[in-house]
Amino acid sequence: MKAISVFNFISQFHVQLAIDPDSIFEKNGRFFLINKTLRLLANRDFFYAGAYLGKAKAGKFFPSFILLSMLAKEKESNRVVVDKKSAWLFICGRDILGKSIVRVHGQGKKGVNTLVLNEFGECLGFGRIVGKVTGFSVGDELAVRNVSDIGDFLRRER
Amino acid sequence: MSGKEFFITRYQKLGWKYHEVKLKQAIRINHTNVSDKKLIERLKGMGVDVEKIPFLQSGYWVQPSKVSVGATAEYLLGMYSIQEAAAQIPVSLFTNLKGKLVLDASAAPGGKTVQMADTMQNTGAIVALDVDKRRLTALSNHLERCNISNTIVYLLDARQATNLNVKFDRILLDAPCSGNFASDGYWFRNRTLKDIERNSALQKQILAKAVECLSENGELIYSTCSLEPEENELNIDWAVENLQLSIEEINCYGERGLTDVFGRQLDPMVARCKRLWPGATQGFFVCKLKRSNMQ
Repeated sequence: MKAISVFNFISQFHVQLAIDPDSIFEKNGRFFLINKTLRLLANRDFFYAGAYLGKAKAGKFFPSFILLSMLAKEKESNRVVVDKKSAWLFICGRDILGKSIVRVHGQGKKGVNTLVLNEFGECLGFGRIVGKVTGFSVGDELAVRNVSDIGDFLRRER
Repeated sequence: MSGKEFFITRYQKLGWKYHEVKLKQAIRINHTNVSDKKLIERLKGMGVDVEKIPFLQSGYWVQPSKVSVGATAEYLLGMYSIQEAAAQIPVSLFTNLKGKLVLDASAAPGGKTVQMADTMQNTGAIVALDVDKRRLTALSNHLERCNISNTIVYLLDARQATNLNVKFDRILLDAPCSGNFASDGYWFRNRTLKDIERNSALQKQILAKAVECLSENGELIYSTCSLEPEENELNIDWAVENLQLSIEEINCYGERGLTDVFGRQLDPMVARCKRLWPGATQGFFVCKLKRSNMQ
């Protein structure tokens, strides 16, 4: 399979990451990017290894925040930068209004996935563009629907 | 043999007068992800003041505020970990971790694993073990949050570490222990001397196996957050005698290890261990071990 679901997900952001498919290991539907040193140790049944990329479940791929951060570093990737208040609301699981988008990079059309970055350029998660994302002038219209955000780390602990 | 009075009397016999302790919350900055200056500014901007912990490189005490440092964007982005001050000491005692092959024998929930990975700047490799699957999930989340990429995690009892057939340059054995009253409000009510003796036996078993995995000139850091000498000085005295280990001098916060435990005289080298009675930190014990034939 396997690594293909990882690459399919990456392609949704209109970017190519230089990842060697042979460096991706699958364990119970979870994908890990493993360097040469760890590869020597990965012959046993491990629980977690290297950089976690995400998991495939019921035909869907759920990316890790490590993978999203890798994508956010690519200049060509789809991403929106949001203001401070909206950044916090996004982490709390909320969607993004057009007026809170400060900048748009890559494709900004409806239906595509986009990374959501704060004012420092740090990746907070990703969402699907559902409205205009051209910034400031758009008012209270919903622009990006939250799909996954780093607040998940807290929700997982519950 | 249990109860508050019983343990307080023991501590007194060991030279420490019991007093109540209120621990300060501490964080450790992950330098791979952010600089001290940048993080402190950002925390200050949201009303969180921090104070440098004088005996730690990356540790800060958090001043009381309305903001929970466990629920900020900076925390979720892996810029810092919440880690008690004493718990930050063991990893800081390794020499030259970068690029090394490291065993974290009892890793979950991963505070020290992440600290090592951060010190190593994601170079080399860390093998992290734990026996509790739920705790491994917490460890995995911690690794993902802090963007760690040099660690492999196994669901494995540390007593089976030799099955990995690997010799490690550095081993952290933050042994499962009885804990201490400063970090557990119910400690005196829940602990008996029997628990402590059981833990001590387990610690010796793990230590013996860990030593088998240590490379010829490797370093092993042993630590517990227990105040009980059975889990600390007595175990290390046993290790010196039975596992051919020597205790290295370490320069860190804390008092010298006890060499007279309830009238029993231990190897004078045990004084090189550090014992932290509760106060500025929780109760803690730490030492650095090497194979004695390398001296």
